[in-house]
Amino acid sequence: MKFRGKIVDVACLNHFTRVVTTISKLTKTCVLRLTPDNLFFVLSGKVANGGVGMWCELSQANFFDEYQMEGVSPEDNEILLEVTPENLSRALKTVQNAKAVKVKLTKKHCPCLTIAAELPTLSSVSRVVTHDVPVDIVPRRLWHEFKEPIMPDFDVSVYLPPLKTMKSVVDRMKNLSNFLVIEANLNGQMNLKIETDLVSVTTHFKDLGNPPWGDDAASPSRESEAMAEARVDVRRLQQFLVGQQVNPSRAMCNIVHQGVVHLILLHEDVSLQYFIPAVA
Amino acid sequence: MATMSCVLEGNRVKAFGKAIHALSRIGEELWLDPMVKGLALRSVNSAHSAYTCFLFSPMFFQHYSLGSGSEQGSATIKCKLLMKSVLPLFRGLNSIERNVERSQISISTPSDRVTIQFFCRHGITKTHNLHFQESEALQAEFASHLCPNVLKAPARLLGDMVMHFPVFQEEITLSMMPLSVSFRNYCEAGNDHMKMMYTEMSLHPDEFDYFQVGVDSDITFCLKELRGFLSFAESHSLPVSVHFGATGNPVRFYIKDMVLEATVVLATLMDSEKRGPSQPIGPPNPTSPRCADAAALPAVSYEADGSKPQDIPAVTELITSSQGSPIINPPALMQLLSPVDDPDRLGVSDEACPSATTTPASTMICSLLFRALSSEQDDDGCAARLPVLACHSDAEEDMEEDYRRSPSL
Repeated sequence: MKFRGKIVDVACLNHFTRVVTTISKLTKTCVLRLTPDNLFFVLSGKVANGGVGMWCELSQANFFDEYQMEGVSPEDNEILLEVTPENLSRALKTVQNAKAVKVKLTKKHCPCLTIAAELPTLSSVSRVVTHDVPVDIVPRRLWHEFKEPIMPDFDVSVYLPPLKTMKSVVDRMKNLSNFLVIEANLNGQMNLKIETDLVSVTTHFKDLGNPPWGDDAASPSRESEAMAEARVDVRRLQQFLVGQQVNPSRAMCNIVHQGVVHLILLHEDVSLQYFIPAVA
Repeated sequence: MATMSCVLEGNRVKAFGKAIHALSRIGEELWLDPMVKGLALRSVNSAHSAYTCFLFSPMFFQHYSLGSGSEQGSATIKCKLLMKSVLPLFRGLNSIERNVERSQISISTPSDRVTIQFFCRHGITKTHNLHFQESEALQAEFASHLCPNVLKAPARLLGDMVMHFPVFQEEITLSMMPLSVSFRNYCEAGNDHMKMMYTEMSLHPDEFDYFQVGVDSDITFCLKELRGFLSFAESHSLPVSVHFGATGNPVRFYIKDMVLEATVVLATLMDSEKRGPSQPIGPPNPTSPRCADAAALPAVSYEADGSKPQDIPAVTELITSSQGSPIINPPALMQLLSPVDDPDRLGVSDEACPSATTTPASTMICSLLFRALSSEQDDDGCAARLPVLACHSDAEEDMEEDYRRSPSL
């Protein structure tokens, strides 16, 4: 198993760092899946995470100047590593002014992802900073847990309002209740509702628009006014919103009525999907 | 009746506040020591493994006076204040910069109070009265001119290095070798070190303003305690001098400009596993506590009557004896320390401590031994033989220059 990548462009380094930082805000540990063409940060929706799932896909060519990998075997040409994204984020954040950053799979005291950065100095000799981030190799027999999630059979799909606005609403709602209802319809309307013994608050968003998935995606006979809703843990939603540092080109929300909230963010070269299960 | 009164103007208030911040990183108490040569602020941590001193010369102040009509050399007050009383006054440095035009600090003995006044914009005056405890000044001594390893670098360079370590990183290891200086984070063995992130960087000697390696050594010290000092140095764009020796001996960081100087002395870990082959392992000394608790250097504290160490012969020696082991008598030490560029000789001084074999594999912090000279000193005459390890900074500076000119003492 070998992996060696090099980032030379400062904008790519910056962008990669921001992606990793966003991931670090979403989860404490996740699996980094390396394939010849892509990198994936995966959190499988197990009960331990409260059923939350995450799938973040990056095209390696958009970030790395050099990228070489050799997977577990020629048939299974992938590497899966369990990693703490916060460590990666910290390591990357300190080397933003580097001339070049190499990311390698190494074996030090344990398997590590080594971030080695060449920093500019006033003297002739470059300064090299290395960060060894410990990782756990995920054995082949567990790989099935980290496959790309299937798009759920959603009832409604709607574009999200500006994430900043959503975040400030959810932040305040979090103070009032642990659970929040997200509902939306095919008329471009979305409501965020909380209800407690003392108070109920609803924030209405309209004219959001609905993504054109195609006729076979949503049930054609569905009334455009009918709301599909899901009641979720407000902290999960807040966690998702807190991590977003850049406005995505597209932000969508698919709701399976009383099932799951599927959030999709698309940037130019990164896509992020986040699944929050509905609670009773 | 001994008092002190000083006035700081404008930017100086912020600088003073920044010094307080740096001092607060070290200990919970702040010693104010007004002297003829300036106002010294000192702090030491509870383990006695970190010490810092900021000395502001009279030129730093718009106005600086000691005593009310008292002569030079008469008793000056040494006050001890609680850091948590002082720090909040200087908490918002930006707000101080914007609002405070002038500040006056005065110490008054009859009421046992330190009065800190801020004269702010719009005619607002804030007066704070803090109760102090009279105390002997505590001071760590450090024979920097005897240190085989010396580095001098712009504060910015050190700040850039330190930036790579997370804020919660306790200790880092600085390794000095003939061709490079490296920094890496230090993790205690067995402390879930399999899961820890390791960070390392190395610097070429060219990056330093001054680079002198006398003995290859790895020193591990507490980074947290240094950060405030480095931040102060960076804000004043001052170069930082680093003096240290073999593993286990303390390290000193020092900055100086026209109106102030500041020192941080940190104890370093005595890691038995990291001992180099050149360090001889002496016979175990059953009477003394484990060497790992070895005090790196004893310090001299002054009597409240302000007696100066000028009477004591200006012989500086580095003692690495442990707290309980016998004090090496000076002549032997002088012999040990004279050829400072000989690593074996320096290693020999470790013979004073019990060997690594008596210590557990885990490492322990060496603490700087602070001993107050009380009236007992006259009784056993011990103090008379106790070497003064550092002179006043002026004299020390001369010695440093001497040292540079003739490196082989």
